[in-house]
Amino acid sequence: MPELVAPIAGNVWKILVSVGDKVELDDELVILEALKMETPIYCDDAGTVTEIKVKEGDAVNEDDVLIVID
Amino acid sequence: MSRKQTPLRPYFEKMPEIGKQLREGEIRRSQANVALVREQEELIAQEIQRVKNAGIPAEKVHSRGGMTIYDRLEYLVDEGTWCPLHSLYNPTDNEEGCTGVVNGIGKIEGKWAVIIGFDNKVMAGAWIAGQSENILMVTDMAKRLNVPLVWLTNCSGVKLMEQETVYAGRRSSGAPFYRHADLNHLGIPILNGIYGTNPAGGGYQGISPTILLAHDGANIAVGGAGIVGGMNPKGYIDEEAAQALIEGTKNFKGKVPGRVETHFDQTAYFREAHDTEQGVLDGIKDYMRMMPAYDPTVFRVAEPAEPKYPVEDLNLILPANQKRPYDAIQILARLTDNSEFMEYRPDYGREVFTGIAKIDGFPVAFIGNQQGIFPGYPDYAKGEYPGVGGKHYREGLIKQGEFVTLCGRDNLPIIWLQDTTGIDVGELAEEAELLALGQSLVYSIEQTDLAMMCVVLRKGTAAAHYIMCGPQANNNNTFTLGTPLTEIYVMHGETAAAASYARRLVKEDAAGNDLAPTLEKMNQMIQDYQDKSRPAYCAKTGFVDEIVSLPDLRKYIQAFTGASYQNPKSITPIHQMLLPRIIKG
Repeated sequence: MPELVAPIAGNVWKILVSVGDKVELDDELVILEALKMETPIYCDDAGTVTEIKVKEGDAVNEDDVLIVID
Repeated sequence: MSRKQTPLRPYFEKMPEIGKQLREGEIRRSQANVALVREQEELIAQEIQRVKNAGIPAEKVHSRGGMTIYDRLEYLVDEGTWCPLHSLYNPTDNEEGCTGVVNGIGKIEGKWAVIIGFDNKVMAGAWIAGQSENILMVTDMAKRLNVPLVWLTNCSGVKLMEQETVYAGRRSSGAPFYRHADLNHLGIPILNGIYGTNPAGGGYQGISPTILLAHDGANIAVGGAGIVGGMNPKGYIDEEAAQALIEGTKNFKGKVPGRVETHFDQTAYFREAHDTEQGVLDGIKDYMRMMPAYDPTVFRVAEPAEPKYPVEDLNLILPANQKRPYDAIQILARLTDNSEFMEYRPDYGREVFTGIAKIDGFPVAFIGNQQGIFPGYPDYAKGEYPGVGGKHYREGLIKQGEFVTLCGRDNLPIIWLQDTTGIDVGELAEEAELLALGQSLVYSIEQTDLAMMCVVLRKGTAAAHYIMCGPQANNNNTFTLGTPLTEIYVMHGETAAAASYARRLVKEDAAGNDLAPTLEKMNQMIQDYQDKSRPAYCAKTGFVDEIVSLPDLRKYIQAFTGASYQNPKSITPIHQMLLPRIIKG
């Protein structure tokens, strides 16, 4: 089951999908905010969002799982 | 059997490939970005149309059998080579809405020239506010590139109602005559096609170039025939003086001085006189064929090639959202021949890329900011904070200084791709010597005698805008381009508002006062920063020399490169270059 992880530490600024959404390769799913910059997290495979492990405003560390896709 | 090849073939014929094709998903999700870019392009296009419509309608000039400056340029310049500059420049916000001159770089008869002409629709080409600064930038450009300056003179002289805005001062409308003398002195020819009535200042515009070609209806003179009265001894105009003026003007029968009958037939200042406007332009074309220019083969290191990836991709890759990172190498891959790039020290100073590429087969240098976040970098931060793309740190500054110095030695024109938020600040940064290293880069640039061009892709901020060969590098920066996404300011508006009002907020808060008035001021400041950093504002004030669509960047880079190699003042034999060897190791 593919997992979308945070490439850097930061705050979850926006979550652009909900559980059950169908997503495609390169869709933008989450935007992290760190160091006054937005880091968009893109989907690296097509599938369905089965779990969102964070909520907007959460602080995350590098490699934390953000979203699970099936 | 004879054999031929390009020099240093093992280094230049095939350089490392960079970039990759955009995936379907990347293209899909970037459509909103393209829409934002187009929105800005549309605003710029509207402004340019406004400037083109300045003054009397083109139809009026056509109905008199004349050509506008735009008609003249279209006839004169080789198709597809015109790169306009300073289109929106109007630093004093004068009532004409432009500086009354139209200029840029283009090829005439296959040779690059810096070209400028008076807009004869705007007060018959009068000297108006802001114009002399525009002309000085153009003469500087011809000097830097060592290519001919072509003038299309049609200048009625000072706009007398506002003489104080143009006549006097160090960089006023008289300064271009000294610049023309300087160019002549340096062996840079100025070709001049002369039209219409050119009295006084217009006369000097006419006489100061190297080769003068006139239309039959043209004249150049120390003063015009229109000055029918001298000093009024009363110091004012009364009814009696007005009547005298009316009579004097009505009865004036004299001919305009300095006509072709004088300056072709008698003084022979004019090399040619033509009965058609096109004839003058044909004469300039003839002289351009005589101008000094190396065949490109002398300096080419490979056959010209288009980038492997389409330039139109740039609208998808460069985010309009200034907070978004992107892959700067993907930008570069849409600009260089065959999407190749020989990178200098890629593992050192990761926040910037430096290296050699080919443009139309000529070797050039590129320097630009990388974007994104660099954990564990810079070393001197010892993990306290990560490096951020767009900023400059110790290694990046050292790398740029080294690279520029070597480019000077190898005579490689440099193209800077700026998207910078500044130089790292704080105690650690000071200990890491960033202040001195920034100025050291300025010194490295200044001690070369290289032509450089600068593109502010998005942000030009703080001292980093200066040290990456911004327009402040007067002796090297040939021109600076902005894009539809350019923003130039000393710092972001929010940062500036915080810096300006933080203490006041503390004071008001401690006193138990309402913070609203201070907040209003802060937000007004943020808005003001936004309004005064947008592309059209940058072009109007001269922060950049032109706003160019992203796909057009390569065309300007080709013009800069071609002009730089047309007649270089200094040559490094390609087989004696050091940089390719240093990169190879």
